[in-house]
Amino acid sequence: MRTLLRPWRDPSFRLLAAALAIAAFALGAMILLRAELEARFAVRTAEALGGELVLSGTHAPTPEQRTLAARVRQAEVVDFSTVLVRGDDLLLVSARAVDAAYPLAGTLEVAPSRFAPAAARTQGPAPGELWVADQVLDRLGVIPGDTLELGNKTFIIDAVIRQLPDEGAGFYGMSPRVLFHRDDLAATGVLAPGTHVDYRLLMSHAIGVDLDSIAAALRPGLRPDQQLEDIADAAVRSLGPLRQLTLWAKLAVLLISLLCGAAIHLATSQRVARRARLAGLLRSFGASRRQVIGRLLGREFAAVLPAVALGSGLGIALVAVLRTLLDWQQRWAGTATDWLALALGPLLLWFGFALPRLASLVRVPALVVLRQGGQPRAAAGGLELAAALTVPVLLAGLLTDSLADLGALLLLVAALGALLPVVLWPALKALDIAGSRLPLAARLALRRLGRRPALTLPLLAALTLAMAVLTLSGLVGTRLLDDWRTKLPARAPNHFVLNLFDADRDAYHAWLDAQHAEGQPLYPTVRGRLTSINDVPMRDAVTKENARSERALNRDLALTETAQLPRSNRVTQGTWPTRGDGVSVERELAENLGLVLGDRLQFVTSRGTLDARVTSLREVDWDSFEPNFFFMFAPGALAGEDITWLTGFWLPPDGPAGRTAALLQELPHITLLDVHALLARAADIARQASRATALLAALLMFAALLVLAAALQGGQVERGRDNALLRTLGGEQKLLRQIAWIEFLTLGGCAALGAVLIALAVLYPLGSRLGIALPLGSPWLLLPPSLAALVAVAGVAASRRALRQPTLTLLRHGSA
Amino acid sequence: MPDSSASDTSLYEQVLLEARHLGKRVSAPDGDLILLQDIDLRLAAGASLAITGPSGSGKSTLLGLLAGLDTPSSGEVWLGGKPFSALTEDARARRRGELCAFVFQDFHLVGDLSALENVMLPLELQRAPDSAQRARAWLDRVGLGHRTGHFPATLSGGEQQRVALARAFAVAPQLLFADEPTGSLDHANSARVRDLLFELNRETGAALILVTHDAPLAERCERHLCLDEGRIREQSAPVRRSRP
Repeated sequence: MRTLLRPWRDPSFRLLAAALAIAAFALGAMILLRAELEARFAVRTAEALGGELVLSGTHAPTPEQRTLAARVRQAEVVDFSTVLVRGDDLLLVSARAVDAAYPLAGTLEVAPSRFAPAAARTQGPAPGELWVADQVLDRLGVIPGDTLELGNKTFIIDAVIRQLPDEGAGFYGMSPRVLFHRDDLAATGVLAPGTHVDYRLLMSHAIGVDLDSIAAALRPGLRPDQQLEDIADAAVRSLGPLRQLTLWAKLAVLLISLLCGAAIHLATSQRVARRARLAGLLRSFGASRRQVIGRLLGREFAAVLPAVALGSGLGIALVAVLRTLLDWQQRWAGTATDWLALALGPLLLWFGFALPRLASLVRVPALVVLRQGGQPRAAAGGLELAAALTVPVLLAGLLTDSLADLGALLLLVAALGALLPVVLWPALKALDIAGSRLPLAARLALRRLGRRPALTLPLLAALTLAMAVLTLSGLVGTRLLDDWRTKLPARAPNHFVLNLFDADRDAYHAWLDAQHAEGQPLYPTVRGRLTSINDVPMRDAVTKENARSERALNRDLALTETAQLPRSNRVTQGTWPTRGDGVSVERELAENLGLVLGDRLQFVTSRGTLDARVTSLREVDWDSFEPNFFFMFAPGALAGEDITWLTGFWLPPDGPAGRTAALLQELPHITLLDVHALLARAADIARQASRATALLAALLMFAALLVLAAALQGGQVERGRDNALLRTLGGEQKLLRQIAWIEFLTLGGCAALGAVLIALAVLYPLGSRLGIALPLGSPWLLLPPSLAALVAVAGVAASRRALRQPTLTLLRHGSA
Repeated sequence: MPDSSASDTSLYEQVLLEARHLGKRVSAPDGDLILLQDIDLRLAAGASLAITGPSGSGKSTLLGLLAGLDTPSSGEVWLGGKPFSALTEDARARRRGELCAFVFQDFHLVGDLSALENVMLPLELQRAPDSAQRARAWLDRVGLGHRTGHFPATLSGGEQQRVALARAFAVAPQLLFADEPTGSLDHANSARVRDLLFELNRETGAALILVTHDAPLAERCERHLCLDEGRIREQSAPVRRSRP
């Protein structure tokens, strides 16, 4: 036990252990969190899809397909538009026929009446029952218990739909939703040849059956109208807070690990210098290399294990606390591989950044015991470099399934971090040479830096990396938080309104004022159908039919015009149309329709045809709480069309019931969507993501401080000896202080320059990966110079110990 | 008890260094540890003194106190006729730089300075003019004029000590402190450095205080001071020198 505790007396070892503990904490927490988040993503995506695997098409699945699907849990859903009838009143609705197994994923929430609280249900309506959205009750003036006709069948209204699990905030299903049992579909008689229907066969895993095998079996037999989607395909495409956080978190943890690796390397170098004599002594006693390895390296490894265990334990504890706070009741999502990665990750750091250095102790000759101040021969530089480059790649592999996520960025940062000292080193040497004309203190300081590459280069690289990482962390963290805040402001719209006419606007605004609601801008919308691409009719032009293109082909779309790119949109190709016949198309729909920039489109509207040219493609965040459109035209393009208005508003939640009913009664033709639940969930996710970002920033800062501490500790012995000699030769404290200031200001300044260059180089690829804009002119780029000043102050403060070292120590080191 | 009083310097010899009732004690876990006690000595300008004694007798401690690298617990040191040990650290460093020079057992050259730059270092600290020329001349004098650009790692032990001698004498010290100057050298180099040390000392007229186990080296000094357990056990009388 004493043997394991002995290294802890060495400040270098304590620093090394702290770095390992932090890395173990960060890696462990991230590996487990990644597993939890991916499981949550999968659940969320499965909820959004309706199942883990979905076969959709415009015709019913074939018997062979049903047979294959029968091996797993399945549910069948049929969506179509139809009309509800109550006496003389008609209402266009989005109808969904579901079987007894629905819903497969997510929660169905219904209420017994218009304003009653909702409760979760595990099954859909029974035969003969109809579940309807609030708007149906308002529009037709009915209540639960009343009857409604749908086609040839009369239903009893049994419940009010509050939330369906597989409906997001998209705006292509704008009619009120009704739900009934699949067994009643035939009796309604509404499905006839030519009726636009969407069939979906939802599948979820069953014990002993691999869904991937089902998917593989289904794919060859897909009809042209069918599409097979799994949760990977349908993974949240838009960069919502969780996905952005996950990406940034992985990169941040990798950077934390790299910083800790740098601190480990520096601390180990100091440790090796102190242990060199012992290694030589062991060899002089006749110890073999194996015995030296066992005694020195083996005990070193054993002594760091408690630090690794502590860090990993804290990481596990953090995830446990998060699971409790976020009420994640499912069992831990981490697999055996994840737990193994958690154990191996920090050890990888030790093997990569400490072991090559420690290995040099094995090569210390016995002769050092006869020579005072003997040092081990430096570790093979190639081995250290290879380890330094390999470890990050291996860590990235532990943190992510695909190195494509992080690999390129990481290599860029590592390459820059490695190359920059090589670039800055000649500058330091040049300063040393030019320094012969400088005052004495500057000359001595620059000599000290410029002639000790073994000390200066690792220090410079570590400080550069630490400053660059902190700068990027601040940049990214604040942009992510801003991004989430603007997407979900405190009063984000919790209702959306469609089909407002010009004449309704005054009444609408008056209602907003009366309710103290906050309205959003109004978007002009026109119903139109895409009929040709480059003068080729749609049916001939589009070869790939899937759900998306099917929606674009066979139904009226909401077209709009606007001068400004909406916040939740990002142009990925071309330029935003500001005038003329330009149109901007949503990127994924464009891919499905085979559209490219310059393609000519023709739409048919109630007033005739509308021609446009594709001038840009857009990435759309469909999860944002803003109206989004597949096609957006330049201002003026829709002049002369039959326009209705689309908008949103925030209604204070704590108001009297029935407010929206009053709006619907005054404007019965509008469509009103309540997105309260979705908004609350998204806001909660953003809050948790913000806290996680703050935690990551704190960890990054700790890791960077460790690097600084290790860097300052390194060279203290040499600095102390230098200072003692200078004092012996007549140098005063003032001179020594000046030398320290110049040395650390130069070091910090060079590191700051390198850090700014790295940050600028990484800005664009990093921002692109995270889906945020990282501006060149950010004040965060001033952080490295500020940190350079901190390095100087900290370095001089740390050197005070060396400055105060009794010069007699110099004599004692040399005396018999 | 041997007479340790400083009465063995004739009145007409200038006293360069004087120690009066010098003592040094340090705190230890089981009480104070007395390193030196009641040390009195005087050293005239140009004289040489060898300090000998077994290991742990306080030789290096005494050297440190005399050179102003440490402060005594009791007594005082005077240098050049002025109080020395009572000065502040910076003032002692300044005075030391003006009057003294050092040669160490481990040479203590700065590893990343060339031989020339090592010799220039104390000259630069004293803001001496023409430091480069002076340094070059002294390297020539010690036989290393052809190695001015070499770094200590490429010099042998004997060559490093010769660079150290050049560094010491380049500032024209009045008093040279040498702590085991031949301790790290082989027999041949020891003899060479020994000869060079006394040759340069004679040429410059500097006083010399030498801590050594090397008997031939000690015998070349005019006076001997033998320490034992922090006290003067034996002190030889100085060789009387007539005033020039």
